[in-house]
Amino acid sequence: MKNYSESNRRHEMAVQGIWSGTISFSLVAIPVQLVKAVEPGRVSFRLLHSKDYSPLQRRMFCPEEDKMVPPDEIIRGYEIGPGKYILITDEELESVSPERSRTIEIVEFIDLKEVDSIYYDHPYYLVPSKGGEKAYRLLVEAMRRTNKAGLAKFVLGEREYLVAVKSTEGALALITLHYRDEILPDEGISPKEEGIEDEDKSRMQRNIKKMMADFNPGKYADGRRKKIVALLKKKVKEKAPVQAPEIEEEEGEGPADLIAALEESMRKVKKSR
Amino acid sequence: MSRKVVEVAGRRLSLSNLEKDLYPSYGFTKAHILEYYRRIAKFILPHLKDRALTLKRYPEGVEKDFFFEKRCPSYRPVWLKTADVHRHSEERMTVCLVNDLETLMWVGNLASVELHVPLAGVGSPETPDSMVFDLDPGDQANILHCARVALILRDLLLELRVASYVKTSGKKGLHVYVPLNRKETTFEDTKKFSKTVATIMQKNYPDLVTAKMAKEYRKARVFINWSQNDSSKTMICVYSLRARERPVVSFPLGWKELEGLAGQGNPEKLLVIQSEAVRRAEKQGDLFREVLVKKQKLPHL
Repeated sequence: MKNYSESNRRHEMAVQGIWSGTISFSLVAIPVQLVKAVEPGRVSFRLLHSKDYSPLQRRMFCPEEDKMVPPDEIIRGYEIGPGKYILITDEELESVSPERSRTIEIVEFIDLKEVDSIYYDHPYYLVPSKGGEKAYRLLVEAMRRTNKAGLAKFVLGEREYLVAVKSTEGALALITLHYRDEILPDEGISPKEEGIEDEDKSRMQRNIKKMMADFNPGKYADGRRKKIVALLKKKVKEKAPVQAPEIEEEEGEGPADLIAALEESMRKVKKSR
Repeated sequence: MSRKVVEVAGRRLSLSNLEKDLYPSYGFTKAHILEYYRRIAKFILPHLKDRALTLKRYPEGVEKDFFFEKRCPSYRPVWLKTADVHRHSEERMTVCLVNDLETLMWVGNLASVELHVPLAGVGSPETPDSMVFDLDPGDQANILHCARVALILRDLLLELRVASYVKTSGKKGLHVYVPLNRKETTFEDTKKFSKTVATIMQKNYPDLVTAKMAKEYRKARVFINWSQNDSSKTMICVYSLRARERPVVSFPLGWKELEGLAGQGNPEKLLVIQSEAVRRAEKQGDLFREVLVKKQKLPHL
């Protein structure tokens, strides 16, 4: 089962991008697909019921009525004060959602060094679609040489993002950026400068210099993940997995009227057979 | 990858790898699959119309890995009809609607051998158009046992003045459909009704029927899977190909025909292969037509 789902995922990744369209600026338009650039290595667990190993579900619960709420009774409210809400419908939300982008239109080129990395949100790759390979290579190369990144507005999902398109080793990457309003101010975090001697400053700088190295991300790995994976491998070998019941089947008779009618019909059916 | 551009109903479609043998034990290529769906189109399209398609794709053929795809692939052509569905607590999802021949061909080209659809249309996802009894034989039972159960089920429902229709699953079982086509009936109703029927059947035919999913109950019995009556579940569409060694189809049968076949005792005769499916559909018309139009109310709920 595990192998199947992994190969399945690989396959989907190979054929299906998150978005497809064109990337363009001035007269150039290159057909591309957007694909994931990172796969967070988090090991995720299902929550199970300790008594019978059933996978648990999340349900919506109304504390007032002390019961579960079915989907068709759930609506959205924006909280404006304790217990006070403004209701918002799906239609209203839809009416303010931007239209899906067909193109990533680069409006300006910037020096990526000017962008504080705190603005970086999420990285993707752009993959050339059929017919766009040559122009794609050209753009990758030109951007790499000039060390510039293109800025564009781009709608993904229901949101419009500011994005930076940059050249990595041999490919184009697209990074969604935070809007300025989303960045929390850092003023007041650092205590006021007082009583720092020049001697202290230069000692600190010397220490930093001593520890300088080239950035080599391969040196680091998520140690906890590695240990969890090793632990799981060991446990698979040692112990059979627990089995969830195939389906939860609440016993229940059904409407009495229907049961009576069915029993009656069943007698007739059996007689005629 | 080989490509061929064809025109279907004025739309240009780029078809790939037509020569690829997707049923290698039988010798049935992607071109054959597309040809089957083209010929069966007028029969299958009304049953796919305005329903959220789940693709079941076999890119390396029916003997290799498959994957389900509920989302309509983003590289779909611009003319392809889609719908946005979102069930509570799931994110919004765009699905393909197979409402015309060109979409059917495009979907076939994705090696989506099997076409699965829900029992409700996209416009009213909580209102099933039909109720289904999915008859699934356990170990040491076969499709003939399913036929016996289906015939009892038909008679039982008839006593309640409810008409039902039967098709082969194209694998081991049979599917009995009860047309409803009225907006007042909910999945809650169909689940309650079908579960009660399954329980009564089990009680009266304990050696033949079980209403419980767990494997130990299903041995040598037919499991009446009532839990398919759910907005989140899909059924193999009538006339869809199935992915097994041979290109067998989920095909509607007349009740008299099923009686005859059940009497002959040869399970093989209950398998309808693609060429036979086209021939029979053209001769007898759509035996599942009533499932789409007949209005029925479930009594005693």
